Amino acid sequence: MKNNKGRKVFGWSLLLIALGFFCLQMGSLFVQARFDASYIDDRLFYILNMIIVICLVLSIWLLLKPAKKITISLTIIFALFVIANGVLLVNRMEDTKNILSVSPNWQHVLSIKQDVQTKEAVYYRSYYGILARPKERLPYEMDGEYQVEWLAKDVAAFTYKATDQSIQQFIATYGDRGSGTSYYYVGGQTHGVWQAKDTKVINDQEGISITHNGETEVFDWDHIEQFGTLAIVLKRNNEATWTIALKENFEVHSDASRETVGNIALYKASLKESEPILLNYQGEKE
Amino acid sequence: MKTLIIGLASIILVGLITGMFVYENRDEVKLPQYQIDTEEPENNPNATTQTEPQQEDLWPVDGEEISYSLQNEELHITYDKGKSWVTVPVEKDKLFAGEYNGNKQSLIDTSYILTEKRAAFLYAEGANWESQTVGIVYSEDQGKTWEETIVTDSFPALRYRKVDFLNDQFAYVILSGGRTMSQEGTQPYLSNDGGKTWTQTNTPETTRLVSDGAFINEKTGFLSYGTINPEQPDLYITEDAGESWEMASFQMPKKYEAVFVTAEMPVKEEDHLAVLVNQGPNGDYLGGKVKGKFISKDNGKTWEFSEEVQPSEEQ
Repeated sequence: MKNNKGRKVFGWSLLLIALGFFCLQMGSLFVQARFDASYIDDRLFYILNMIIVICLVLSIWLLLKPAKKITISLTIIFALFVIANGVLLVNRMEDTKNILSVSPNWQHVLSIKQDVQTKEAVYYRSYYGILARPKERLPYEMDGEYQVEWLAKDVAAFTYKATDQSIQQFIATYGDRGSGTSYYYVGGQTHGVWQAKDTKVINDQEGISITHNGETEVFDWDHIEQFGTLAIVLKRNNEATWTIALKENFEVHSDASRETVGNIALYKASLKESEPILLNYQGEKE
Repeated sequence: MKTLIIGLASIILVGLITGMFVYENRDEVKLPQYQIDTEEPENNPNATTQTEPQQEDLWPVDGEEISYSLQNEELHITYDKGKSWVTVPVEKDKLFAGEYNGNKQSLIDTSYILTEKRAAFLYAEGANWESQTVGIVYSEDQGKTWEETIVTDSFPALRYRKVDFLNDQFAYVILSGGRTMSQEGTQPYLSNDGGKTWTQTNTPETTRLVSDGAFINEKTGFLSYGTINPEQPDLYITEDAGESWEMASFQMPKKYEAVFVTAEMPVKEEDHLAVLVNQGPNGDYLGGKVKGKFISKDNGKTWEFSEEVQPSEEQ
């Protein structure tokens, strides 16, 4: 008796889950068509389909206890459906490579989709978690290798190898350190001398010089590219070399009389794992 | 119960299969600009209307008779409170080039002139942030015709910018830029032909951040420095159209030392000049708003304290 009750509760729960996901799936399809959006990861559609169908077949089996023949035919229908979705999923993965990374605080998702044939990659901006709209095309075609590192909870550095074998960086930013109503230059805001253990960054009128492990590199302003209002990429020979990102505690001031507050992160553009270096403000250049 | 479950299951299955067809056959989502690029106007007569952003009705930024609007990403001016508009031939972003931290909803206060006789707007352009061209686009016939003139073809990221015409012929522009924390370069330019050509003047020997500057006639001009922790007024004066500059001296009563620290721009009053000296960004004397009024009888070289000025008494 008790066993029977448990079975029913479980069955109804599965049916509700299936129904819930079904509504979500249909709602998303409508929104996607209406607002020219897509799933943040194309695989989600098929995975949700499979979850719905599996929940559905289990709930029917638990709640209706159908005769053996019906059970077998139902299972075959649903299995075919799951297999069809599996095949479409694999097909999709062959066409489009999805790159996803969730921010450390789970608030943002970096989504990049690459057309496997043309090697073109497009950065998607997420809306309501699972939906996304294309924001911009990455300037270089992607070779395949990449690395994602969150430099702050709203700054993701996407390092990738371009088809011309150069290392490029795209920085996805999700916010602002100012009032949110104005644009500012990250280079201008980070003027001064910054220091970590064996790393020193000097940002002055001529450009930015970086001394790391005893080696100094200088980048003039023509070779510094800003992303959003949170990060800059320092380039040499048309390749990304370093990224400087404003940390969460960095305060943007339009008023020069205010002291620089907060840290910046320095991150090497490399396909190998590397840790961002946290730098402290030391003052203006002597 | 059984019917309900089977009914639900059937709806879900049919819905999912339909969904799969829809998903597989949908058009690939494209970048907004990509859509515009690929649409052939010849084949699609509605292309223009589809791709152009919605234009909103213009309204004067301050509701005045002679005013402007920065809506629709363009600068427009009106001489009849918004009934008719003229588009100023300058890109909006160029009006805010350099070190600007605002919302681009209104023009930078001192960067333009808009009167019945003259409309003039300072702008900067150029890909290199450290060396931009600064110019003025101006009209003397209420926007019927426009002219452009270059003030300087190489100036680093603008911070402070000011343009003013004292009469039909004499005009001045004061620019500062290339700020590195608390240092920058400040440069006045003068025109004696109604803004057609500009001459760079000499500058005072200081790289502090300029707080204001002005010429009161063809020969006499002032530059006031000190926006960061100023401790005393730092006002420079020229009496030879920027050829040479000397520091003005303030006879500061002991009581007001380190209180009145930033000079505003002198104005002519009867037979002498008067200047208000404010308390700078950190002033807290009597709430921080009170200013000191100083008088000069030698054309601005030396200043004597006259009175405290309450904010409401300001002219």
